[in-house]
Amino acid sequence: MGGSVLEYPPVVMRRLIGGLNKIVLPGISLVVLCGLWEVAALILGARYLPGPVPTAARLAELFATDQVFSNLAPTILRVLGGFAVAEVLGVIVGVIMGLSRSWEKFLELGVMVGLTIPSLCYIILCFLWFGLNELAAIVAIGLTTFPIIAINVWSGVKSIDSQLNDMAWTFGISRRERIFKVIAPQITPYIVAAARYGFGVAWKVTIFVELMGLTNGVGFQLNYSFQIFDMTSVFAWTLLFTIVMLVLELAVFKPTEQWLFRWRPEVRA
Amino acid sequence: MASIAVDDVSKHFISRAHADRLPVLQNISFTGGNGQFICLLGRSGCGKSTLLSLISGLDEEFNGKINFDGVTVAERQNAGVRLGFVFQSPRLLPWKTVRDNLLFVLRRSGLQDWRERADLWLERVGLKDFAKAYPHELSGGMQQRVSLARAFAVDPDILLMDEPFSGLDEFTGRAMRTELLDLWQQTGKTVLFVTHNCFEACFLANRVIVLGGQPGRIVWDAPIDLDHPRDYEDPDLFRLSVKLTHVVMESAA
Repeated sequence: MGGSVLEYPPVVMRRLIGGLNKIVLPGISLVVLCGLWEVAALILGARYLPGPVPTAARLAELFATDQVFSNLAPTILRVLGGFAVAEVLGVIVGVIMGLSRSWEKFLELGVMVGLTIPSLCYIILCFLWFGLNELAAIVAIGLTTFPIIAINVWSGVKSIDSQLNDMAWTFGISRRERIFKVIAPQITPYIVAAARYGFGVAWKVTIFVELMGLTNGVGFQLNYSFQIFDMTSVFAWTLLFTIVMLVLELAVFKPTEQWLFRWRPEVRA
Repeated sequence: MASIAVDDVSKHFISRAHADRLPVLQNISFTGGNGQFICLLGRSGCGKSTLLSLISGLDEEFNGKINFDGVTVAERQNAGVRLGFVFQSPRLLPWKTVRDNLLFVLRRSGLQDWRERADLWLERVGLKDFAKAYPHELSGGMQQRVSLARAFAVDPDILLMDEPFSGLDEFTGRAMRTELLDLWQQTGKTVLFVTHNCFEACFLANRVIVLGGQPGRIVWDAPIDLDHPRDYEDPDLFRLSVKLTHVVMESAA
């Protein structure tokens, strides 16, 4: 009897352990990370590496002086704008390339070239073409991110096998319905994965764009802090950025993915 | 109820290994219908699955004629000839529940009572309680049972099956074969069943067509005159299966 309790923990217990794993483990990981940061700061000195406490204090100051909102809001809008352009273009091009051989041959080189060109080139070109403004920023972010999304969607669409489509065909399902009800659901996971990846890229490029030619935004503030060698502010802005990314990941991407793929078996190692 | 006529069908694949083309089927002719249960038997590579995909219309490049009561295979979708197909793997849409998988094909079947048919057939294959389950929550045998229900539910003119039980363990396979025979007798459907398993062919069919050789030809075509319900332990069944095994082995060259 005693052994069976250990072998088969009751459902409540298992849920509890599962819940602990979800909260406690990331919590411990966070504490360890901050600990390492603190230790490194102590060794190197605040001049080179401000610790978590002064960084958090500076971040609080930035919040208090309204600098966070006036810089984070434009940054987020630029990220979303550029990302939206890239996602729409990337999904269209990726799906077309994945479904049609001729289009694949035709577009492959273009996408590859687009991927090879450094983001700095897009940024400079866009500033030269459109001026130092939001349009240039969004086009540059979009152009940099689009090939990455296109390639991910393309390889995903190519990898779906024709078995389900053949099945639907033999049962007399129309082409239109096969595209929307059989092929599209198989492509969705790749679009979501590409979006996640592309979003990360869009963030990084946005910072770069702001640093290069704009007068507000997190990237601009980072550059400004760098110019006056204010290491604590550099850390504070980076921390803010990381927190925003994590919140988006936990509040938007993960729940969306879980909802979209609720039919999938849970993977247990 | 439709019949099927395969008339002098030949098929070749374009292949890089062979200078121009690789013939896989040569001068295949047979007709079937009236609720026959025909097994197409042969070793792997004899072209039996290829023949099934020609009959279903998935592969349209071949010489010869395939008709369903005078409707050519190319016209069959427009003419409303319905086929049921059970594949080697269940081929269920993993994002749809068991019931929705049936409804998905039934909705376009043109049948009046399509909604009721989903529930009716889930009950007939013993999966009524799993209607709301997703395919991954079912065992391989149960998934194939859903696939069977799907094929019967559309009230097909001809039922095509491509080694549907070869992926199952022997005991599940036996149970499913018996179940299939029950359903076949209840519905009187004409079945075309591809297999490489001689015993399975003898157990199920009332007519066996053996494909053999390279390219594949019909080397044997004869009725199986055993009474239903059939018994796995029947010595006549066993003898017949041994005989067919030799036919298939000798057809190899």
